[in-house]
Amino acid sequence: MSTTTLRQAQGGAYDRLLADLGATFRPQRQWVEGRGLLLIIGHFLSGVGAGAWLFALAFDQRAGLAAATATVALAGVFHLLFLGRPERFWRMFRAKSSWIARGFVGMNLFVPGALLYFVFPDGYVGGAFLAVSLLGAAILIVYKGNVYAASKGVPFWNSPLLPVLYAAYALRGGGAALLVLLPFAKDGADEATVGLIELWIGLSAAVMLGFYLGVMRNATRAAQRSVAELMHGRVALVFYLGTLGAGLVVPIAAGVVGLAAPLSEAVLAVVACFSLGGDFFAKYAIAKAGVYVPLMPTLGEGARPPR
Amino acid sequence: MRYGMVIDLKRCVGCYGCQLSCKAENGTPPGVLFARLAKREFGCFPDTQLVFLPLLCFHCAEAPCVSVCPTGASHYREGGVVDIDAEACVGCRACMQACPYGARYFNEDQREYFPGQGLTPYEEARYSDANRGIVMKCNFCIDRVNAGLEPACVANCAARARVFGDLDDPESEVWRLIETRGGAPLEPELGTKPSVYYLPP
Repeated sequence: MSTTTLRQAQGGAYDRLLADLGATFRPQRQWVEGRGLLLIIGHFLSGVGAGAWLFALAFDQRAGLAAATATVALAGVFHLLFLGRPERFWRMFRAKSSWIARGFVGMNLFVPGALLYFVFPDGYVGGAFLAVSLLGAAILIVYKGNVYAASKGVPFWNSPLLPVLYAAYALRGGGAALLVLLPFAKDGADEATVGLIELWIGLSAAVMLGFYLGVMRNATRAAQRSVAELMHGRVALVFYLGTLGAGLVVPIAAGVVGLAAPLSEAVLAVVACFSLGGDFFAKYAIAKAGVYVPLMPTLGEGARPPR
Repeated sequence: MRYGMVIDLKRCVGCYGCQLSCKAENGTPPGVLFARLAKREFGCFPDTQLVFLPLLCFHCAEAPCVSVCPTGASHYREGGVVDIDAEACVGCRACMQACPYGARYFNEDQREYFPGQGLTPYEEARYSDANRGIVMKCNFCIDRVNAGLEPACVANCAARARVFGDLDDPESEVWRLIETRGGAPLEPELGTKPSVYYLPP
């Protein structure tokens, strides 16, 4: 007879669940670990895709329009793969109060709209497709932050600042994606202008991230704990190297250098890759740092994570 | 009519009877605990304290899990009971992030309690494939309640620490206990208006 125990068979997952349930600050795992990583990738791609589409539209960059549409479609696939029951995706049209449903509507407006606009860009028909695509892109840019902000169980996310931060990251990711494309397909975009906009949004994102963390540091104890997880807890490495280093310091420093001496397309593309990586790790770190509202009395246990 | 529960922390002895009877009643798979008992020790001998906190879905009147559900799977039933339509849930887990009380569990796959030995006859009878890949939660044993019975955790509480009834009825036992003993919900400042009240220890 097998002597395998439930705990052994589940590779520690059962133990971890029990430990989480007993912890004062229960970590959020569903949207960041295991298949939850697919959701982070989906959120990242949908933001970057929608942002890149807006930049490509502004600079009349046909290759950018196509790549951005494909990116958002790929994001949709990642979203579906994350679901426990992906075959029921069609039920998510209940847009009454759910930001997930609104995002789903946005994706279903954007992908066909942008595809048709790419094929038929002229005339009234093109204008109609453009309007639908713009609406879809706008929804895609704002929905993710609102999905997190509606999560009352995770105080670190439950803030009106998060949708603004995520929208900024989506726009910045869009600019970065276009910079990556420029060496391969330069239709109408000027790398210096895109680089300048990218620098401006990057600085804005840095200020917003600092502001967001500053506010959360003085919010509820669970939010304080999440900030502590980012600063010197289990997410610190990703936060410092990915979110801050690759995502903010390198792009902003390169952008400032670029103001004095123009950078080559190749260098800009590399910097943009750092920026994209930083955007991904920002979403990952913010999701990973989330902890639930503590239910048990803590009797003096601090918000600082154990070292 | 608004169903609610009062849990007397003075009577609770932390026996886990609620947790086990709930599992027996609902046949939930490993890792899914509609009712659970949080227990924590504080201090050092001899100055120690053991705190119990029985937890379940609080069936909030302003349930954040209902408003974030993209499919309407999370919904209000008769008596304000919050339930999940297993046929409509897509397993997005937004409700788990929205619930401040950790009352929802994602049943990723159908696991057995004795790995490598297959499902027991009990598990075969109680597990349903309809529950795979979706979120599961307590529904106040609404089928039992509709049949005139108490929820399993109430009926099986050895210390009679749980009382179930109508929060809107001033003649009910739950109303009387809340009024006379100063019952309060958990984290009322969140504005979710829970239907489960705790009496102070």
